[in-house]
Amino acid sequence: MTGRANLLNAILLAAGIAYFTYALGFGSGYTLRVLSVAGIYALLAIGYQFIFGQAGALALSQGTFMGLGAYVSGILDTHWNIPFGASIAASILVPVLLAFLVAIPVLHLKTHYFALATLIIGQIVLLVATEWESVTGGANGIGGVSGLVMFGQAIRPGWPSLALVWGLVAIGAAIAWQITRGLLGSGFAMMRANEVTARAIGIDTDRLRLMAFLLSAAYAGLAGALYVHTIRVVSPDVLGFPVMVTSLTIAVIGGRLPIAGALLGAVLVIELPEWFRFLRDYYLLAYGVILLLAVILMPEGAVGAAQRLLARWLPAPPPAPPPRRALPAQAAAPASPNLLDITLLEITGLSRRFGGVRALDDVALSLASGEVLGLIGPNGSGKTTLLNVVTGIYRPDAGQVRFAGASITGQTTHAIARAGIARTFQTVSLVEEMDVLDNVAIARAGGALGLRAALATKPRDPALRLAREEAMDLLARLGAAEYALHPAGSLPYGVRRRVEIARTLALRPLLVLLDEPAAGLNETEQADLAERLRAIARPGRGHQGGAHQGVALLVIEHNMPFLAPLADRMVCLDHGRVIASGTPAEVQRHPLVIEAYLGRQAASAP
Amino acid sequence: MTGLQLLLNVAALASAYALVAIGFVLILNATGAVNFSHGDLVMVGGFAAVSLGAWLKLPGIVLLPILMLGMAALGVAVAVCAYFPLRKRPPESVFISTIAVGIILQNAANLIYGAESRAAPPLLGTGKLRILNSSISQQGLAIILVAAGLILALYLVFTRTQTGRRLRATAQDREVAAAIGIRVDAMVAATFAVATALAGAAGLLLANVFFVTPTDGANYILKAYIAVTIGGWGSIPGAVLGALLIAAFEVIYPSIPLLLPGALGGADAWFSQTVSSIAMDIVILVILVLRPQGLFGEASRQRP
Repeated sequence: MTGRANLLNAILLAAGIAYFTYALGFGSGYTLRVLSVAGIYALLAIGYQFIFGQAGALALSQGTFMGLGAYVSGILDTHWNIPFGASIAASILVPVLLAFLVAIPVLHLKTHYFALATLIIGQIVLLVATEWESVTGGANGIGGVSGLVMFGQAIRPGWPSLALVWGLVAIGAAIAWQITRGLLGSGFAMMRANEVTARAIGIDTDRLRLMAFLLSAAYAGLAGALYVHTIRVVSPDVLGFPVMVTSLTIAVIGGRLPIAGALLGAVLVIELPEWFRFLRDYYLLAYGVILLLAVILMPEGAVGAAQRLLARWLPAPPPAPPPRRALPAQAAAPASPNLLDITLLEITGLSRRFGGVRALDDVALSLASGEVLGLIGPNGSGKTTLLNVVTGIYRPDAGQVRFAGASITGQTTHAIARAGIARTFQTVSLVEEMDVLDNVAIARAGGALGLRAALATKPRDPALRLAREEAMDLLARLGAAEYALHPAGSLPYGVRRRVEIARTLALRPLLVLLDEPAAGLNETEQADLAERLRAIARPGRGHQGGAHQGVALLVIEHNMPFLAPLADRMVCLDHGRVIASGTPAEVQRHPLVIEAYLGRQAASAP
Repeated sequence: MTGLQLLLNVAALASAYALVAIGFVLILNATGAVNFSHGDLVMVGGFAAVSLGAWLKLPGIVLLPILMLGMAALGVAVAVCAYFPLRKRPPESVFISTIAVGIILQNAANLIYGAESRAAPPLLGTGKLRILNSSISQQGLAIILVAAGLILALYLVFTRTQTGRRLRATAQDREVAAAIGIRVDAMVAATFAVATALAGAAGLLLANVFFVTPTDGANYILKAYIAVTIGGWGSIPGAVLGALLIAAFEVIYPSIPLLLPGALGGADAWFSQTVSSIAMDIVILVILVLRPQGLFGEASRQRP
């Protein structure tokens, strides 16, 4: 994949250089100016890819941030004579500040609400710019803005301006690439695939989304500053709908994720009206048609489509999988020689209602280090709700959850995951287009994802290499090593289950919660899975890799032949209450358990 | 201005907005996607009324059925171009494809009619009626009656006919509807037809009083979007209520200085049209943040 992406980028770069050479040699001043504007929109779109592409949020505020940057730079220039070079920082910071202020209330909203909220914020900024005449010049805007000035040097229109703009595009693209190429990019991919799962493997998705939003505002602010000093006027038009639609169009036509897509999309979208000059008034109509066709025909954008074509013509040779490396022991591991003596998880008085339904009613249970606890109960008895409360997805109405001696009640899901509780969900969710190895490796690094770490990453990231080697070991322990370099979307169902369990182990957990791990597996696969789970819980018993420490398991399952031999103890829930607990044999014989599953008559039958 | 006149203005604007918002919700429920061209469809309805009026020289009430039939056909065309090719993709794809449809409609209108505003013919006449010592505009009253009639007809179709039940089943759950033998694609196309016909009707009603220009779409889509959000995502009665609240705000807020002359002591500038828009935007933002499920909706619970 990487080789082909490089090849495509090389082709695009060559085409870009050829086009620029042609424009510099034969183009008029106007041609160069259009190409500068295309560069400005490329910066805008690189920024937009962070929130719309990486974070997957339909923000409709990118034009607003650009307009704000343009106004800040234009006002500083005309009111206080501060040139472009000196006001860059302010034109970037003001949009970032606005993004930060609105992010606090707005960023957690779901898709369509978030889109509306960002649209309304844009409306407010537009109305203020139109109304606040003494500062913004009202509906007429501000004219007479000076040209580009850097370090006291006026940058002439024509090739010097073009070089400055595209130089900044190159820097902006390099920074964006550095941020997204490694583990942070995989973290974003996991968040897009399934946000709840991403949190459950320790990724702070709120932080990632905020980071993406602020970055998009920063790029937009820079684009706005360049824009106002290139066009030399700023008016409320720049805050209007069309600029926002243009950034959206560029990202859709070029591609939401590849940075080359932002550049290609910007050149196409800004240059097209020049090429289609003969269409005159019909051009804008054609623009709508092109956008519609692009959405329908190229769901991944032009760069994605080109990559797909290249992949068909030039199949890449399979790369070699990395070597295995065993995980270090858990940081929080209790130091007792007899692990079974320590209460790892202690739940007391836990209640949670949904409307009038008591999903959990005064539940108490505990789990020792290295123990395997089976959790059974009829459908709707509260088993999954219990996992959701323990992992912080739901808040309890009452009660306490203590883990490794400390209360984790009400903590965030990602903090609980990092503290050592990993889980799977009933439905498998992996990043389909990412390979299996990175799907596991991302859990190893979930807690360390950050902008500073991403920017400081060396070309060959030792943390990524280590995470992949350890992921390789986990995949081998789950019997999925042969699939390591396949895209996760191509795996058979049983393997996906095992990859997901490998991913939980990459968190180095003390406790793994498994929600119906055997569902949908055939009998051979079930026996194999049971064997592997036993080895995870009690690695000392002759299984390879004896250095691993036992991981406690809490397993929800309906399949008794699978669960009973695996579990040390069982607990049965019914209507949100614990109705029985004890050895698997005791619980299965318990009259209340039989009644819960089969009804009163069956329970009282001789 | 008397209280009765003010009330009538609110009710007339709310009725027209309600037609827009109901169409928006119908498509939202049937497809799970936002039709961002819905505001532009209102604008198209307005221009269609202008053209039909100039050509047939008949009052709006006679033009309405013809216009709604034509708009229904346009709705099916929108579904075919912007929804059906994308039905297996995430809902944002339809959001973007309908933005494209909006661009096409807006620029087509601009090419045909130019950027100047036009007025559609009134439903019956433009005279005033005298009721309870107030002079009431005929058009305002007619808007309320026509919109109420359309909403009632829609209610009857949805609750009393087999097709209506199929449409509702499709809106509830497309997969289950398909499983019980409903032709889901036909129902979705029918929903686009009904919703677009309603948008066109609203265009005709609004384009007499407020005129119509090619760029009107953005305003109407925002109104519909907001009405549906504060009314509770996906709720039809909520959409009507949301439309009523927006209309009430839009009419009453700028009228405060007229209603309370002298009581504001020179603060009239705070009640300009722009400030009114800003105030409403801020109120909507606060509602979005504090009650994303809408003012009247129940907090939805989703399984992870």
